[in-house]
Amino acid sequence: MGKITGTTSFNRRKFLLNSGWLATGLTVLTACKSVIPVLPTTTNPENEDGLAWLQVLVDGRVRFFCPRMEMGQGAPIGLSQIVAEELNLDQAQIECVTPATNQSPPFKMTVGSESIAVFSEPVSLAAATLREYLRERAAATSGLPVGQLKDAPGGFEAAGRHFFGYGDLISEEAIVLHADDYSSVEQYFNAGKNPYNAVGKRWPSPDIENIVTGKVVYSRDVSLPGMLFGDVVRPPRFGATLIDAKVKAETALSNGQVLVIDVVNNLVGVVSDNPFMLADALEKIEPVWALPKDAPGLDKLDIARYRGNGDFEHTLIDNGNEALVGDAGVQSITANYTTSYMAHAAMEPGAAVASVRKSGVEIWCGCQDPYFIRGRVAALLQRDEGDVIIHPLRMGGGFGGRVLSQPAEEAALLSAHVGRPVRVQWNREAEFQHNYFQPKFSHAIDSGLDETGKIAYWHHDFVSSPIIFGLVPKGLASILDTFVADKGTARGAKPPYAIEHQRLRYSDIRTDTPTGAWRGLGAAPNTFAIESIMDELAFAAGKDPLAFRLAHLVGDGQHIAQLSGVLRQVGDLSGWGRSVAKDRGLGIACATYKDQTHVAVVADVAIDHSERQVNVVKLWCAQNSGLVINPDQVENQVLGNLVWGCGMALKEKLTVSDGIVNERNFDTYEILRHEEAPEVDIKLVDTMQAKPLAVGEAAFAPTVAAIANAAFAASGKRPRSLPFNYDSLYT
Amino acid sequence: MINLNGKATRVEKVLYDVSLLDFIRDQAMLKGTKFGCGQGFCGACTVHLDGIAQRACQLKMSEVRGHKVTTIEGLSALTDDEGLHPVQRAWIAEAVPQCGYCQPGQIMTAAALLAANPTPGDEEIRAGMSGNLCRCGTYSRIHRAVARAAQER
Ligand code: FES
Ligand code: FES
Repeated sequence: MGKITGTTSFNRRKFLLNSGWLATGLTVLTACKSVIPVLPTTTNPENEDGLAWLQVLVDGRVRFFCPRMEMGQGAPIGLSQIVAEELNLDQAQIECVTPATNQSPPFKMTVGSESIAVFSEPVSLAAATLREYLRERAAATSGLPVGQLKDAPGGFEAAGRHFFGYGDLISEEAIVLHADDYSSVEQYFNAGKNPYNAVGKRWPSPDIENIVTGKVVYSRDVSLPGMLFGDVVRPPRFGATLIDAKVKAETALSNGQVLVIDVVNNLVGVVSDNPFMLADALEKIEPVWALPKDAPGLDKLDIARYRGNGDFEHTLIDNGNEALVGDAGVQSITANYTTSYMAHAAMEPGAAVASVRKSGVEIWCGCQDPYFIRGRVAALLQRDEGDVIIHPLRMGGGFGGRVLSQPAEEAALLSAHVGRPVRVQWNREAEFQHNYFQPKFSHAIDSGLDETGKIAYWHHDFVSSPIIFGLVPKGLASILDTFVADKGTARGAKPPYAIEHQRLRYSDIRTDTPTGAWRGLGAAPNTFAIESIMDELAFAAGKDPLAFRLAHLVGDGQHIAQLSGVLRQVGDLSGWGRSVAKDRGLGIACATYKDQTHVAVVADVAIDHSERQVNVVKLWCAQNSGLVINPDQVENQVLGNLVWGCGMALKEKLTVSDGIVNERNFDTYEILRHEEAPEVDIKLVDTMQAKPLAVGEAAFAPTVAAIANAAFAASGKRPRSLPFNYDSLYT
Repeated sequence: MINLNGKATRVEKVLYDVSLLDFIRDQAMLKGTKFGCGQGFCGACTVHLDGIAQRACQLKMSEVRGHKVTTIEGLSALTDDEGLHPVQRAWIAEAVPQCGYCQPGQIMTAAALLAANPTPGDEEIRAGMSGNLCRCGTYSRIHRAVARAAQER
């Protein structure tokens, strides 16, 4: 094993103090990188980052400053299990804490289904390093050789007699670990070595009892002494700028209410000492807005506009063959597919409490990137980042929609103005109208079948808006847009199939409508197009859709084998190929998420002519996402993806006209309801692969396409525009 | 006055126009009942009014004076023993929650459903639970938990 040395590198001393280390025991810590401020925190963790996340307490338990935000995906539980596995602990011995921004160096925003896939390794290494350091201390204390100190629950034992608990091995002396060689520390989490086998267990969320009794604190539940209540009149249209505001004639604000006008930051609002009078006060405000002159330009997102002159910003694959188009021996299959703007619609609308004082700024909010929020708030208030502390809270759903926290920024500005803590709570309307959205996608695919029923060429073009760079501020955006292809928009756009002649081009066009991360980014819209035309091709070739896919998954790689594997499994699971009743249909689709997780889904769809409805009766899903740390959490994520997929296929659509979102609540923006939810059958493929892979967004993309394909099988009509319903299918 | 989780609670006249949800959260300072939509579409704010599941965002304090209101914080008191309500226990056993935000409302709806119909069939569970949205998509686990609670009661 490499040498692990105790040093006192106090460049991180602040974090030590803030994490209570000096009082409580040993913190493992080393130098961490800085990140670029005021952009979402995108740097991947380095292995040594993990050392700032663990702390041994004098009672022998381990405190884990989890570098992932909890929004229901359960990543902190899975990572706690990995810590437990490395350190031979059970669940009661791990205290998992969400660090405030002054308790941990910055870590990457919680997005992209990578909490386990990307963070398992540094977390495991840190815990394993800590374990080996403690073993050395046990050796030093006892005078025994390191080799005689065997792993035991919560410590080490020698010759089956002496036990050295972790708590016995540390004192309150100041020790900061610096590990300079990790490569040779043995990791247990993917080797099945721990007697407890924490990995693979169905550990419940440590919060579950508090959730079912209503005690968990979300952003909306925070209350500070002396707190006031604020709200904002938000712009009537995207891009509107505040000129001035006043209290309407013949009305007046009450005592204890303050009008806040901040033209520089485009904010007008009221702060009230009484929460129940806030809405009325807001009605009395008359802002003057300058509206943007240009039309919002949504027609920019129509594929036809670009196709004519082949004018695309980015080319991902450039091996097309125009000569084959119209070739006598090749049957051409072409189709256009579109998907809609969509909202995150997390059940908890955004909220935050901000306390802005001379001595420092503190914000309580649920967010996916607390360091980004810190940077933005600091810039807004023209304060040092070091003056700002974000206390992240459990989110009532994230799905990409909490990378920003606009309520935190509003609360910060209001609090700065009144000098007291201020709470801002968005209502549902604000959440629908003023968040950022999944952009719509417009696809065109030309493809052709040769005489043997193989795909001869595949020319795919699409247009949408930036997603990963959707939130970049205006000035920077114009530069970025010129040089950088948005990978989020293109996620999942490359077909997994062996096709000799492929061309794939796209444009990511910025419009007035704010766009950003939404579950799976481009994966579902792109997979919908790919897997729909695969179905159309199979049908044209007179082939079974499952067999047709398998016939095009050729080549050696592991990916081909695994994707074929889940396709076959979902086929077995669903009884693929059996005959079904009239107006019923089975549809299949598959996808590889982020080049790692392989998922295949079969949908059973029923057409109900009397009720004029399309019903998803059942979904089968086979997923290979590598090592399963916690089966309950993974199954829950898959379940969430399947339900979300039904919503995208059949219900979800946000519309924008004249720079205004038309939908304001769940009556017009519908998400799937309990009675519409299908029966599900989920199979996590047993794999010896020792790496856990992306889970949180993986199963969603093929679900949408499988439902569309099943609707075709049931009705003979192909949904090419989402969402679809009975009426759109039959007219 | 209202009876809130067994306690007589005064309602000032100036608060008659406030919604029961706002009263519970910002006057009684019980934060377990959630705001989801404010317009009766989502069920996050579900409480029991005289034992019946109701949307707290849709009731004004003037309408609930003299009535008995139970929130998620008071639910476990409805059982004989000191512990959790059987529905809460079933929710834990089935590991239902993801983000958890909708779950107090789901649990209150389920508890009222089972109080009215101790042995609901699948269709009755589906219909009875359909007014409560869950964006995390926990529906099939909710369904299992309701069925389990019905069995174990
Ligand atoms: S908040 Fe009352 S029904 Fe949604
Ligand atoms: S558990 Fe997240 S909304 Fe239901």
